[in-house]
Amino acid sequence: MRSLRMIAMGMLFHIKHVSRSPFDIAVFVVVPVVQATLAVYLFRASAEPQKLLQAAVGAGMMGVWSSVLFGAGGAISSQRWQGTLEMLMLAPRRPVMIFLPITLAQGAIGSYALLATLVWGRVLYGIRLDFARPWAFLVTAPVTVLSLGAFGILLASAFVLMRHANALQNALEYPVWLLSGMLLPISSLPAWTGPVAAALPTTWGARAMREATAGGPVWPSLGWCVAISALCLVLGAISLVHVERRARAAATLALA
Amino acid sequence: MRATFRLLGMGSVIAYRALFNWTTPIVFVGSLLVGPLFQLIFFAYVGRELSVGDDRFYIVGNAVLAAAWTCVFGGTMAIGNERRFGTLGHVLLSPRSRTLIFLGRATPYALNGLLVAAVILAVGATVLGLHIPASAIPLLALCLAAGAVASAFFGLTLGALGLRFRDIWVISNVTSALMVLLTGVNVPLDQLPAGLRAIGSVLPITHAAAAARDAAAGAGLAAIAPDLLTEAGIALAYAVLTAVLLRVFEAESRRRASLDTL
Repeated sequence: MRSLRMIAMGMLFHIKHVSRSPFDIAVFVVVPVVQATLAVYLFRASAEPQKLLQAAVGAGMMGVWSSVLFGAGGAISSQRWQGTLEMLMLAPRRPVMIFLPITLAQGAIGSYALLATLVWGRVLYGIRLDFARPWAFLVTAPVTVLSLGAFGILLASAFVLMRHANALQNALEYPVWLLSGMLLPISSLPAWTGPVAAALPTTWGARAMREATAGGPVWPSLGWCVAISALCLVLGAISLVHVERRARAAATLALA
Repeated sequence: MRATFRLLGMGSVIAYRALFNWTTPIVFVGSLLVGPLFQLIFFAYVGRELSVGDDRFYIVGNAVLAAAWTCVFGGTMAIGNERRFGTLGHVLLSPRSRTLIFLGRATPYALNGLLVAAVILAVGATVLGLHIPASAIPLLALCLAAGAVASAFFGLTLGALGLRFRDIWVISNVTSALMVLLTGVNVPLDQLPAGLRAIGSVLPITHAAAAARDAAAGAGLAAIAPDLLTEAGIALAYAVLTAVLLRVFEAESRRRASLDTL
């Protein structure tokens, strides 16, 4: 119970923290809408304009991934720049318990992208929100978003090992959009990308959302998304302990 | 005259080295080459799947866009980071023309953008199998250069706003996102409503991308000249706008004593 309370309070604190940043607010508010508009015009120009709802959901998922990648993935870097990383690491809890609320909060913030693209599509482009399985969508969306937040812990721990995490962040946005089939089916990609895509929780999350939108077996996909994200969470927790010990031993916590 | 060129040349090179962080190759490759390359591949596959545009449309368009991003962020950083790093006051205390100092900074960013575009174009065409005739390369380079110069001056315009607004990264990030949508590099311009098309037509690279696509298809100089000239005009307009904004905002910043306010 104490852990759950800590996660909830940590999420709330981080969301409040981000809400004070004009940069974060502007980017998180505007960019998903631009992506949704882009997706709408691309699909309108195509021979399959009937898939506009799937395009809007896909664009929303792209926004969730961007939020997780740049927010959750860069959480440790951000703490370092703000000079608060050492204090966080001094806290008498496991590192994963310190950073999980931050990455979950970024996932939750990313859910705005999903909501915004749907509202934008409905209001401006008249896209009918005819979900094949609306109740499944209402369950799938938050579970997927939180799963990706948990996946963010692995990113965060990986990025702390690298001095130039921002370069990796910039390089990772589009490949995951592409490999996860957020805007177009994975079947249109070369066959060798299949195993890579299957290992990403984003692929299964996007698939579950698509199945809830257009019809299909939602729960197996959602189950895979949660399972792979949980595995990433465990690996991230182990990695964070390793990183913390290494940084303490080398006295490079603020420099690593 | 020699001193002016020295100010423009040496000053801009030193500022480029000082303000950019990619003294390490991994940051340069990760941020400026890998990311845009995957962006190109992403949109090329989207184009193939949706039959919106062919490979040439997306490969050439996104190569121009890669140069633009490099230049827009570079130009913004050229002025914005002076304030962030606390060196803006020193620059403005200089007895030389600040307009020249800052406008000169467009050169290394444009060259950097041209390099990025060339690499992205070469790798993208190789990976996705697009053949560009050798005879088209000089004109293609000209189009990429025009787009890069216009983008660099556009970036400086955004950077000049940094003398007035505290968080210019909001402006540059949102503008960069809008460039993906409005410049016709990913959505054909005739698919956009007239209002969005009008905004796109005054943004850098819209005309450079159109000219570059024609050049890659084998069109001659006469055929692409109108688009090239329009792009050059847009570059000039942003250069003038930058100079005006720098003068106005510098005077305003001095008057309000807000030069180093972050």
